[in-house]
Amino acid sequence: MPGIIDVSQLVKIYGDGTKAVKGITFSVNEGEFFGFLGPNGAGKSTTIKILTTLLQKTSGSASVAGLSVDSDAPKIRKIIGVQNQDTVVDEDLTGRENLILQGQLQQMHGPAIKERVDDLLKIVDLVDAADKRAGFYSGGMKKRLDLATTLVHNPKILFLDEPTTGLDPQSRAAIWAYLKRLNEQGITIFITTQYLEEVDRLCRRLAIVDLGEIVAQGTPSELKQEIGADSISLGFENSSLNGGDVRTKARQVLEKKFDGVSNIVDSDVGLTVYAKNGSYMVPELVRAFDEAQIRLSTIGVSSPTLDDVFLKHTGKRIRVEEVSSANMRGMFGRRRR
Amino acid sequence: MVFFSLFQPIIFLLLFTQLFSGLGRFLGAGILSYTAFATAGIVLQNAFSSAFQSGTAVVDDIKSGFLSKMLATPVNRSAILFGRLLSDVFRVVVQTVIILVLAYALGVYPATGAIGYLLVIFTVAFFGLAWSGISLALGLKTKSAETVFGIAGAVTFPLLFMSTALVTADFMPPWMQDVSTYNPVSIAVNAIRNPITGCNVAQRICNIGFDWNTILQAYGVIAAIGLVTLGATLYLFRKVVS
Repeated sequence: MPGIIDVSQLVKIYGDGTKAVKGITFSVNEGEFFGFLGPNGAGKSTTIKILTTLLQKTSGSASVAGLSVDSDAPKIRKIIGVQNQDTVVDEDLTGRENLILQGQLQQMHGPAIKERVDDLLKIVDLVDAADKRAGFYSGGMKKRLDLATTLVHNPKILFLDEPTTGLDPQSRAAIWAYLKRLNEQGITIFITTQYLEEVDRLCRRLAIVDLGEIVAQGTPSELKQEIGADSISLGFENSSLNGGDVRTKARQVLEKKFDGVSNIVDSDVGLTVYAKNGSYMVPELVRAFDEAQIRLSTIGVSSPTLDDVFLKHTGKRIRVEEVSSANMRGMFGRRRR
Repeated sequence: MVFFSLFQPIIFLLLFTQLFSGLGRFLGAGILSYTAFATAGIVLQNAFSSAFQSGTAVVDDIKSGFLSKMLATPVNRSAILFGRLLSDVFRVVVQTVIILVLAYALGVYPATGAIGYLLVIFTVAFFGLAWSGISLALGLKTKSAETVFGIAGAVTFPLLFMSTALVTADFMPPWMQDVSTYNPVSIAVNAIRNPITGCNVAQRICNIGFDWNTILQAYGVIAAIGLVTLGATLYLFRKVVS
């Protein structure tokens, strides 16, 4: 059965020669909560833009609800809701007016809009602030309003690009709760985010992209099992040792003395080591490093998380701070001049 | 926003008419007050600076993601652009009406009556549309409000001051008179000034009612400018949209 989103060998090369997406293939089933993860510059936003008909692909095929993104773009726009990375609300209008405007942009008419807007204000808990100008809203309220605008026309599929970035924990939790409820009502959700814990909890399936290619795909538990090992994160006190890189030295020690190690990846503070029964290895590890005069500042053992999955496939840890200041500026909406 | 952007033309109207009131003698004593002369210039200057706001507004729409958000809806592509232009024209019309009312309070009575003023408003709207095209094209091309502002300043002031918007040609050095004759701003301002004053100031004749030669010449020039600027805007908009 074909998915509600079908992407095959999708390629996007920008005018300046940048290969943002290098032939990715994936599919999302109807009603799925699908996470699309990757470090900055991996090609996530480019893919979302192609799927939401904002950008033309270079080659390959992409369809949404069986409609081709090239020839059926107007039909696709009627059944999708799109939330960009930036919060887009008109600050000169009230929350209610913003929703009505969006309803009109979605070519809804008359009483249908009014009813739908009332419902949405309830869904995102903005009933009390509905008739205040959006310029007076907090960041979290704007984000909720923005989310509501994407829902006006009862879309079948919701595309969300970093919907909770830059929000305080409560607002974030609120947004995730709405998304969970929407998904339970049958809306397919396609989301990019940097919050892996929520992905782990809510996404039925996910794909990890890096440098324009899909490097891993599956359910969260499949991907975690694939690691098949605990992760031991090591932090070093100094970045160099006797003129050499401490990471290189540490790798040599690990490779020579420890058979159970399945993978070693560089991390920000040192190394992350994957090994079966990691906690049993710790005493030996400390002793071995001590002998090699490598001084540890931190050591921690955990069962695999999506963080580890992400690190294994991209060599990077996902970090919320990665969001550029340009995005942050956009967080706080739009003011008309 | 309509309110704040009116400050400049109102200040200009009050300031220039005082500053250059001595110029009245160039216009022939008792025939035409400087205030009546300058009203057309202020109306045009306002249309000028107002039009440059469309460029910065479109940059704002692109940067804030508002344009993307509209593009992800089934709204007709060209409606997004024409809506922008229409709102710009509406704004400049409102501003023009306010300036004309203020000028009326200062004693500028329309020589050609209400129909003349309707023609003025129509001309200004037409000019504003053509000129918005420049700022929109710049905004779409550079995607930088600063650049649009910078170019606006660099273009607006020389064009405005080397025209007969605020002074008569005989006030200028000879080389500038030549520039002023072919300056589209002069040509457009003549078409606005004639219905307000009932004069052809360049030829120093008054009480002639509508001077259709001047008006039609201006419409030809504005149409030519509009064709180029709006054509460029449409082309660049298509590129941004796809």
